Amino acid sequence: MAGIKSRWRATLGCALLFAAALPALAAEVSRETYIPTPYIPSTTVAVDEMLRVADAGPDDLVVDLGSGDGRIVIAAARDYGARGLGIEIDPALVKESGENARRAGVADRVAFREGDVLKAEIGAATVVTLYLLPQLVEQLKPRLLAQLKPGTRIVAHDFGFADWMPDRTVTISKNYYLYVVPARVAGKWRLEADLPGGGRDFDFEVQQSYQRIRGGARVQGGYLPAFEARLDGDRIAFVLVDANTSLHFEGRVSGPVMEGVVRSGFGRAPVTSHWRATRVGRTPEEG
Amino acid sequence: MAARLFALLAWVAVACAPAAAQVFPQFPYDVPFVPSPQVTVDEMLRLAGVSEKDFVIDLGSGDGRMVITAATKFGARGMGVDLDHDLVMQSEESAREAGVSDRVSFLEQDLFKTDLSRATVITMYLLPSVNMKLRPRLLELKPGTRIVAHDFDLGDWQPDRKTTVRKNAFLWIVPAKIAGHWRMRVELPPIERLLELELAQRYQEVTAKARLNGVPAQVWELSLEGDRLRFVVVDTTDREHEASLYFSGRVSGDVMEGDVTRGVGATRSTIRWRAARTGP
Repeated sequence: MAGIKSRWRATLGCALLFAAALPALAAEVSRETYIPTPYIPSTTVAVDEMLRVADAGPDDLVVDLGSGDGRIVIAAARDYGARGLGIEIDPALVKESGENARRAGVADRVAFREGDVLKAEIGAATVVTLYLLPQLVEQLKPRLLAQLKPGTRIVAHDFGFADWMPDRTVTISKNYYLYVVPARVAGKWRLEADLPGGGRDFDFEVQQSYQRIRGGARVQGGYLPAFEARLDGDRIAFVLVDANTSLHFEGRVSGPVMEGVVRSGFGRAPVTSHWRATRVGRTPEEG
Repeated sequence: MAARLFALLAWVAVACAPAAAQVFPQFPYDVPFVPSPQVTVDEMLRLAGVSEKDFVIDLGSGDGRMVITAATKFGARGMGVDLDHDLVMQSEESAREAGVSDRVSFLEQDLFKTDLSRATVITMYLLPSVNMKLRPRLLELKPGTRIVAHDFDLGDWQPDRKTTVRKNAFLWIVPAKIAGHWRMRVELPPIERLLELELAQRYQEVTAKARLNGVPAQVWELSLEGDRLRFVVVDTTDREHEASLYFSGRVSGDVMEGDVTRGVGATRSTIRWRAARTGP
């Protein structure tokens, strides 16, 4: 993983100049404009922290956008047993990455492609690492949200997304931001729960801004707000209080269906039953 | 805490707790009896993570529902303290009915004169002024003791966690006292590291100055939860192979010890560490 990776080689001095000039740049530059990005390799501690914060493991495909000399992708394969893919615009760095991977003995588990990070197909990734300038991070955001599966972990180094609160921030010399791609749950749902006292139906409604959700259930003659509502990738949880009992819902979202278990009661004798919700109407465009 | 200005306080409490809007003719005690709804009782005990291993003391136990719920639903043992004789009698009766009188007891006593040292969990629904008066005693409890309150907090001692299921419930974990100077030797090849820490503490918030082999070093991601401490120091001893040192351990008096891991993934190695307090 290179440091501020990817799109152009430049000196550190240039990079600093760049960072200072960014706001002005952002105003003038159109979406299609080429953004030169300086190549600053990540330190070993930064490589360690990005992969640790991402919780990379043998089941992961780690995609590094702006992969520089390949160090993040190679570390992911060598130290975590993951598979990896690096996208880098500089052909010399792509070539060097391949050689570095062979030397590290992980050439069979990693690949490097010469290309523009804004055009890369990354839908298979389970982890995406970024060390890019803020403007490029922002331009990537809609592509990441559109292509990546819910639950995919994005780790950004130094520069994160402007309006998307990280799920976790770790500060060890530098800032690392973890974003978990949220499932799309905004809209109206029909929720059925097999509660101990008998089956119940709710009209359940959710508002969403990235992973932050709120909502509630309409019942005959009232509204039950969803307390402690959380969304972590495709995992959803919330609490409804009905008839002076709290019902703890937990489940997984899969397209137009979410389902899981609902716990009522506590401690030694919780009563666990099944719930399922199906989407009513169409998925709103923006999560 | 016999009668002091309480009519006024009680009115405030009733105004703050509209769910329990029951007005009492007189207020012989500091804190009026406003029963917590069952959902709130359940959520407070869940927030505290109460289990069979716990001893729950409820301060101002009213009709005993907190302690009885801790026993019936969570398998804990417990004790309730209340000044009101009738409520204590009622609580004992309710415990018998619930079949838990062997595991819970109720005392007609001033909560400020009650020995709290047995508690692993303290629950309370008192007024802010009473919370603040109790706070110094709570901070002296065994590190790791959990305190749960609802509606009213403990001033500038920030909760470790909170939950909102209808009402706000707050959880505090009594922090170990770790302020002062600490020293440890870490036997990490190729050379032994000497880590010196100077810790300052405000409740569970801890800040640190550190020297690694005499060189100032920064301490990252420092957290204290009860007697459990975690922090990270970047080890720059070997410039070619810098790596983070992840410390986790437990504090016990003037000693803290635990594990330190150097690096991440397949390249990491873990050894024990032990530090001693060398001064205040």
